Amino acid sequence: MVGLSLGERQFIQGGIAQDLRSDGRKRLTYRPIGVETGVIPQASGSARVRMGATEVIASVKAELGRPSTLHPDKGKVAIYVDCSPTAEPMFEGRGGEELSTELSVALQRCLLGGKSGGGAAIDLSSLVVVEGKICWDLYIDGLVVSSDGNLLDALGAAIKAALSNTGIPRANVASSVLGDEQPEVDISDEEFLQFDTSSIPVIVTLTKVGKHYIVDATAEEESQMSSAVSISVNRQGHICGLTKRGGTGLDPSIILDMISVAKHVSEQLINKLDSEIAAAEADEEES
Amino acid sequence: MAGKAAPTPTTYSPSPTTQKTKPSFFKNHDADWVRPDGRGFHQCRPAFFRTGAVNAAAGSAYAEFGNTKVIVSVFGPRESKKAMMYSDIGRLNCNVSYATFATPVRGQGSDDEDFSSMLHKALEGAIILETFPKTTVDVFALVLESGGSDLPVVISCASVALADAGIMMYDLVASVSVSCLAKNLVIDPMLEEESYQDGSLMLTCMPSKYEVTQLTITGEWSAAKINEGMQLCLDACSKLANIMRSCLKEAASGSEE
Repeated sequence: MVGLSLGERQFIQGGIAQDLRSDGRKRLTYRPIGVETGVIPQASGSARVRMGATEVIASVKAELGRPSTLHPDKGKVAIYVDCSPTAEPMFEGRGGEELSTELSVALQRCLLGGKSGGGAAIDLSSLVVVEGKICWDLYIDGLVVSSDGNLLDALGAAIKAALSNTGIPRANVASSVLGDEQPEVDISDEEFLQFDTSSIPVIVTLTKVGKHYIVDATAEEESQMSSAVSISVNRQGHICGLTKRGGTGLDPSIILDMISVAKHVSEQLINKLDSEIAAAEADEEES
Repeated sequence: MAGKAAPTPTTYSPSPTTQKTKPSFFKNHDADWVRPDGRGFHQCRPAFFRTGAVNAAAGSAYAEFGNTKVIVSVFGPRESKKAMMYSDIGRLNCNVSYATFATPVRGQGSDDEDFSSMLHKALEGAIILETFPKTTVDVFALVLESGGSDLPVVISCASVALADAGIMMYDLVASVSVSCLAKNLVIDPMLEEESYQDGSLMLTCMPSKYEVTQLTITGEWSAAKINEGMQLCLDACSKLANIMRSCLKEAASGSEE
């Protein structure tokens, strides 16, 4: 954890109360976001996102698998986050594990939608190759390389960028299949299918310090938080998931207010992120 | 034999009208759908709490909501493990596990680790940790039968167990979830309903203090719907807290006699 003196703490809290944070930002301003795509050649899609000193990598791998018996017409998506101790010593052992599960669960909640598959950011039925027999399993892995607060938002942005960078090979199925036999699949090396990433939400975390809430908190600011609410919002302005962190309780009306603030902030974030992703992809093609 | 052939056969034969069909309520006919157990959309299952389920524990409670049955025991405050650093506030350690026979398919409980951290987050805001420095309170929950809304039941039951153990709290913690099925919001969903849900909202609050300690939402929601869902949950939580309180009062007056 960040050890701060009383003076430093008061400086941070006072700054937030006056809408001028330690690094000169306003309460609802993000740090500059840097996106780089295609950073991992082994993966089907990958991206690296930087927000100030926070740096995360997300990779997407597609593998052929069998759909579950419960949902034969749907593919599977798994999201895991790893917090490497190289980022911060406290990530070693149990502390890292706890944070990893917390982040993974929050991302799963934001991206995978309800149990029926309703409201999911990723259209699972598009991952099916042969119904009931073959589907694509998407493994989305996040890695925290360097941590300076606001990990969830950065991971959400990285996953969005990685998915838009993902190409799933076209699978040609041998047509003559009898009964229960597993059909043969020929995976093309040249033809790739792109993902529709327009419905993937962004995650906005509002951290409450004192009476006010801020976006994109640094680690120092996070150490002063009383509670934080992470809200994922899609382009239509619908809420796709919400998690609360931090111990202290919140008044229900404050939560509703936070939701409307998050909606407002998310519009700017989505636009900014989309243009960053587009720029990153153009860069990648050039090189 | 042949002459006995009546228009209505006496032996059982499945016909389209009497056949038990899998409820197709989730698609389009949302208006006239009845919940599997006949409840109204905004009606909770009957709740039952009993303290003192485990003798060895400092405090314990058993809760039953319809088919969902959980048992929670609280140990401590006891000395923190030696490896833990000094802390001037108490620690809370939560663990949720499923009995192997709790689910329809054996040993297929939900992600325990996830539930444990959710329970921790739901409770820590309500417990006055300053009252037991350097020590740890352990909360162990076991789901005996999973019948839907497991986590909310575990959280509510845990707060009764904490009260039974005499741990200082700002307020009781009550938790309720709503499921979104097509256009309907159904409160306190059962296992079947949960498996078809398009989204869910779980709210944990301290009703007397009117503060939300935990809120999770999955699926796609509009702001108006979130508002509606939250109001439903808040109302249900304050009613649930009354039941929890009366259970504790009963236990306290019973032990005095």
